[in-house]
Amino acid sequence: MPVRVHIHATHRQFTSGQEAVPVEGKTVGECLDQLIKQFPGLEKALFAKKDKLLNNIEVYVNHASAYPNELVKPVQDGDEIHLITMLAGG
Amino acid sequence: MLTPSERERYDRQIMIGEIGEEGQKKLKGSRAAIAGAGGLGSPIALYLTAAGIGRIRLIDHDRVALSNLNRQILHWEEDIGKKKVDSARMKLKGLNSAVEVETIAETIMEDNVSDLLDRCDVIVDAMDNLPTRYLLNRCAVEKNVPFFHGAVRGFEGRAMTVIPGATACLRCLYRGPVPQEKFPVIGVTPAVIGSIQATEVIKYLLGIGKLLTNRLLIYDGLTATFTEFAVARNSDCDHCGSFARKE
Repeated sequence: MPVRVHIHATHRQFTSGQEAVPVEGKTVGECLDQLIKQFPGLEKALFAKKDKLLNNIEVYVNHASAYPNELVKPVQDGDEIHLITMLAGG
Repeated sequence: MLTPSERERYDRQIMIGEIGEEGQKKLKGSRAAIAGAGGLGSPIALYLTAAGIGRIRLIDHDRVALSNLNRQILHWEEDIGKKKVDSARMKLKGLNSAVEVETIAETIMEDNVSDLLDRCDVIVDAMDNLPTRYLLNRCAVEKNVPFFHGAVRGFEGRAMTVIPGATACLRCLYRGPVPQEKFPVIGVTPAVIGSIQATEVIKYLLGIGKLLTNRLLIYDGLTATFTEFAVARNSDCDHCGSFARKE
């Protein structure tokens, strides 16, 4: 049972509209690498540079914040990763 | 003490077991600062005024523009060009003349934020940018005053309540500055999030229910779903943790 990565609505343009993508990996970082291999357009939407997420990206694993050091957080089969963008509007 | 007129006005909420006449007196004796009189500030101020919060301090430096009217329901066509706090005050006093509405038409900055938020029981975040939200968050933490965060973009919104010293603050998840943008939004989104913030304020002032602390609530209007994420205090937070500035 793979890890499921839930894609934020603003990023679904890069996943052909898919709301969740199954990936394999032992850490959040490995899962995101896999995700980007499937959908390369996501790289610039998530990362400022290699191994550095954009400041407006929040990562949650099984509905709990993975901050800080999100990319090295371990995950296992069946886990859920949510990629969320920070909001500032009012 | 409630007057006969107040008993009549608030009859339907006094009927709520968790509120009662004692709760209504607590609301009457409270002061809420609302930072921002725009999309979020409108429903927050309207519902807190309708609920009978005794004193409301509205802070906003801006003037009403036509492009505000799709979401900022405190402001109407006749208000274009007026200070938002003046436009807002007129509506709020029209709704509930007994509520004291204090207005401050100033920009919230590092050197005035503490004075602007002085002597308030709660601080409500209804801003439209992250730097000012962080100013408010730090001030709330330093004053040990509860902080009620809300933000929106498009059909999506989020809310979280901060009890300084006890729960995660807005800064606990901070990774670095985010570029400012002209954000898209439709009025129904801040209506939902602002109502949640106002509910949280009322719950806190009455000491009832379970606050939205250590939980980030995300609302997606397009799918009509609410999702909750657990957040925790960051011991290294520069607002509420070991890296907080010292007096």
